[in-house]
Amino acid sequence: MSDMGLPASVGAIRRVREDPHRLGHRAHGAGEDMEGTGHGTSGPATKRIIVGYGFWIFLLSDIVMFSCFFAAFAVQRGATAGGPSIGQIVDIRRVGFETAALLLSSYTCMLSFAATNRRNLLWTQVFLFVTGLLGLIFVLLELQEFIELAGKGITPQRSGMLTSFFGLVGLHGLHVTLGGVWLATMMAQVQIKGFRREIVHRLICFNLFWHALDIVWIGIFTIVYLIGSGA
Amino acid sequence: MSDIKSDPHRPALHRREDHAPGDEPLEDSGHWIYNANLGLGFSIVLTAAAFFLAGSHIIYGPSIPVALIVLAVAQMGVHLVFFLHITTGPDNTNNVLALAFGVLVVFLIGAGSIWIMDHLNQNMMPMDQMMQMQR
Amino acid sequence: MFGKLDWSAIPISQPIPLITSIVIILVMLGVLGVVTVKGWWPYLWREWITTVDHKRIGIMYGLLGVVMLVRGFADAIMMRTQQAAAIGEAQGYLPPEHYNQIFSAHGTIMIFFAAMPLVIGFMNFLVPLQLGVRDVAFPTLNSVSFWLTASGALLVNASLFLGEFARTGWLPYPPLSEATYSPGVGVDYYLWAIQISGIGTLMTGINFVTTVLKMRCPGMSYLRMPMFTWTAFASSLIIVAVFPILTATLAMLTLDRYVGWHYFTNTAGGNPMMFMNLIWAWGHPEVYILVLPAFGIFSEIFSTFSGKPLFGYRSMVAATLFICIVAMMTWLHHFFTMGAGAAVNTAFGISTSVIAVGTGVKIYNWIFTMYGGRVRLTVPMLWSLGFVFTFVIGGMTGVLLAVPPADFLVHNSMFLVAHFHNVIVGGVVFALFAGLEFWFPKAFGFRLHEGWGKAAFWCAFFGFWVTFTPLYIVGLMGMTRRLQHVVVSAWAPWLYISVVGIVILILGAIAQVIQLLVSIRDREKLRDLTGDPWDGRSLEWATPSPPPFFNFAVMPNVEGEEPYWGIKLRAVETQQLSPEPAYEPIEMPVNSPVGFYTAFFASVFGFAMIWYIWWLAILALVAAYAGFAWFAWRDVHEFEVPVEEVARVDRARRAAREVFLTQLSSQEVLP
Repeated sequence: MSDMGLPASVGAIRRVREDPHRLGHRAHGAGEDMEGTGHGTSGPATKRIIVGYGFWIFLLSDIVMFSCFFAAFAVQRGATAGGPSIGQIVDIRRVGFETAALLLSSYTCMLSFAATNRRNLLWTQVFLFVTGLLGLIFVLLELQEFIELAGKGITPQRSGMLTSFFGLVGLHGLHVTLGGVWLATMMAQVQIKGFRREIVHRLICFNLFWHALDIVWIGIFTIVYLIGSGA
Repeated sequence: MSDIKSDPHRPALHRREDHAPGDEPLEDSGHWIYNANLGLGFSIVLTAAAFFLAGSHIIYGPSIPVALIVLAVAQMGVHLVFFLHITTGPDNTNNVLALAFGVLVVFLIGAGSIWIMDHLNQNMMPMDQMMQMQR
Repeated sequence: MFGKLDWSAIPISQPIPLITSIVIILVMLGVLGVVTVKGWWPYLWREWITTVDHKRIGIMYGLLGVVMLVRGFADAIMMRTQQAAAIGEAQGYLPPEHYNQIFSAHGTIMIFFAAMPLVIGFMNFLVPLQLGVRDVAFPTLNSVSFWLTASGALLVNASLFLGEFARTGWLPYPPLSEATYSPGVGVDYYLWAIQISGIGTLMTGINFVTTVLKMRCPGMSYLRMPMFTWTAFASSLIIVAVFPILTATLAMLTLDRYVGWHYFTNTAGGNPMMFMNLIWAWGHPEVYILVLPAFGIFSEIFSTFSGKPLFGYRSMVAATLFICIVAMMTWLHHFFTMGAGAAVNTAFGISTSVIAVGTGVKIYNWIFTMYGGRVRLTVPMLWSLGFVFTFVIGGMTGVLLAVPPADFLVHNSMFLVAHFHNVIVGGVVFALFAGLEFWFPKAFGFRLHEGWGKAAFWCAFFGFWVTFTPLYIVGLMGMTRRLQHVVVSAWAPWLYISVVGIVILILGAIAQVIQLLVSIRDREKLRDLTGDPWDGRSLEWATPSPPPFFNFAVMPNVEGEEPYWGIKLRAVETQQLSPEPAYEPIEMPVNSPVGFYTAFFASVFGFAMIWYIWWLAILALVAAYAGFAWFAWRDVHEFEVPVEEVARVDRARRAAREVFLTQLSSQEVLP
């Protein structure tokens, strides 16, 4: 990007030719043949890129699956069949704590990956552990919510609205739980095998997964709880 | 043409490499943590605003859901940019395109389902009312 | 202890499933016995069951698809003959409970276990070869995908012997499919079989999207990829986008059935119509998943056998991506009559009509490819010409159905049945046979007998039209679909003609089998010695037949569209091959049993869930996870192919190519 010494017009012409719609974010790279990108004609990408991108595609498919459960909730939000409405079952305080826990866990996940990039085993494990702990808090709070509701006879078998509520929130909680299992496995693998290539690739995937779960949670707490509570 | 370039494990030699989302192998950890902090900060602000707005009467009541959705979309954007490093750079084109495709599909399913199902309820009595009529 | 499973599950009182099951079990035992006696297990385990080679996986997909195609065809024969035999006073030979299972199984098997595996099989075999790379992005995941699909097929077939299959049609509409109205195991067989194989298919979609976007040989930019790869990519994009909808919707129905939830029930706030909405949001793009690679196959065949580059390559790519996107915007046309009103119906009617524009562009491009070329009427080309005729008419009936007021008259009539068979058989099935004839030599090293191939084509072409034209007619006369018994005697002559058509199709199937047997018997005479028996234009024809497991000794460097054509022309002009490259050792992925292992426990899990054997289900899940964790712990991912081996294989290829070059130059056929 450093074309000092050339007339400004030369640089301008080159920029237009390479990036006619000025989409390029100059801070990140040049306009030449980028390896592993679409126009990339320099051969197959590295395994790291391939694994990360493939997992990104998987995550997008997972988000499509969530959107079906969101759609079901949107359609059935009023189908209370004489039972409680969504506004009557949401507990904003607890949701606040759940949101805080999950958001912080995304943050600690980032810190863990920073440590991984520096090949620092101790801090990788510490932050992974904190991430898992915060995730566990989230799941426990959610379980507490479900058990309390069930105790009052508010179960998914009661109405269409409750089915879609428990289905959507439960699916997310299931993902967090499975993520926790994965996290534990990763911590074991990192401890025993160190920062081998495949392990780092898997940590990249885990990071993507965990952040995506938080993104889905933003949708859930907004649409189900916050908007629902106003209903 | 030799096979050197086909080695899938060859390390990333220079900055001009494509990136998978959430992965910046050559970024220094200072920059990484700075992004994480910014992301967390913005997220906290947006989350707090959403929770606060939900129960309050500061803005016109019926517009609260719209405002909440705007805040949610903004926070999703914060996560994508600061935690997942989705940018508009040429090293991220594939990631952005994939994301755009995913967003399109989610929109089609979500908005499409709501539009269709709502119209079905307009033309036909909803099921539970129909069942009540039959008692 | 065994949940709902007891001896009454065996269909002793129903002769057809009983006899079929016994025959299948005997054949399976026979095959397993022969394999054991001849000591083929180590070979099969090492070379096929645990393979991660995309070519072998593609062939296994093909085998699975062909076997299930036969079973689906048998169901079709029973349906046509039953209808012809049950007019007026006559009752036919299939009671309604059984007939309903047959039409449900027919659709389920044909779409999920015949068409999808065959299409995915072609994608598997061809895409890495066409891209000039050594394998897909995730080879082991590829193996998992195949075995999960096989697991689903196994479960569907198990329903013949134990229990029953769904009676709801190939898409199990609630409330009929809910536990209240379908309390048996039939719908559960369907749900678990499709759910398990659906995960496999989703993995395939992810695999191929990543492969096409991130793994191409040097020089191969997007607009230099062959057309089949483009369509495989678009199809994979759709898979990634819509298979999660199938997973979600079937999961919702499963929850309704198993734990009494209310997604789609007609009480307590469930909404059965939402099932139709969601399932068709998957179901319509699904047919484009099937048809886009079919279009890709035809693109390759039209250009090869016209001796010309594909006309309008860029517009083909644009049309493909256009179809890919619009395919996800048309699904409501499957339930125009459900009552969404004029505005909604109109919007989707327009989108459905608009998508025909993309296909129209493709048809014109194929025709213009032939124009001015030297057309060779080989068997693949015959299938392609048959496709153009058949598919265009089928597409036109589709555009007719796209008009909501017209659809109100013929929705769920035999007209609809004739339409979708017209496009699926004319589009997808014809493509699969065309592709089989075209790429068989590449996969197995010898060509197929041409005479029997032509016989099979003509029987299929005429058989199709004689079977389905009467169905269009009775549809317009008012006959609805899925009838076990026909009351209106005016429809009888047409149903009889349809049976004649089925007989012609049976003859075609027999001809196809004879072609295979004759070709195997005469394989030395039909041997493909050069790797390029058709004068091909894309990179798979640059490899020997069959290709070595690493595909290319050295990755090709691509300089233009039709990469192999350029290489060939240059060789003929300069009368020599390009200089021998500097060989290097190659790293290839190791085989792995994890695919087979995972699918085995997935089958056990599915079976246990169907029959409510909870302890077995949990055990299977734990075992599956354990196997996966053990796999994730492995230290060795790849092995190195020594440079002497690479050189030896490639020098043999070059020697064959030298001979080929002499033949080409002496014929002076290249333009």
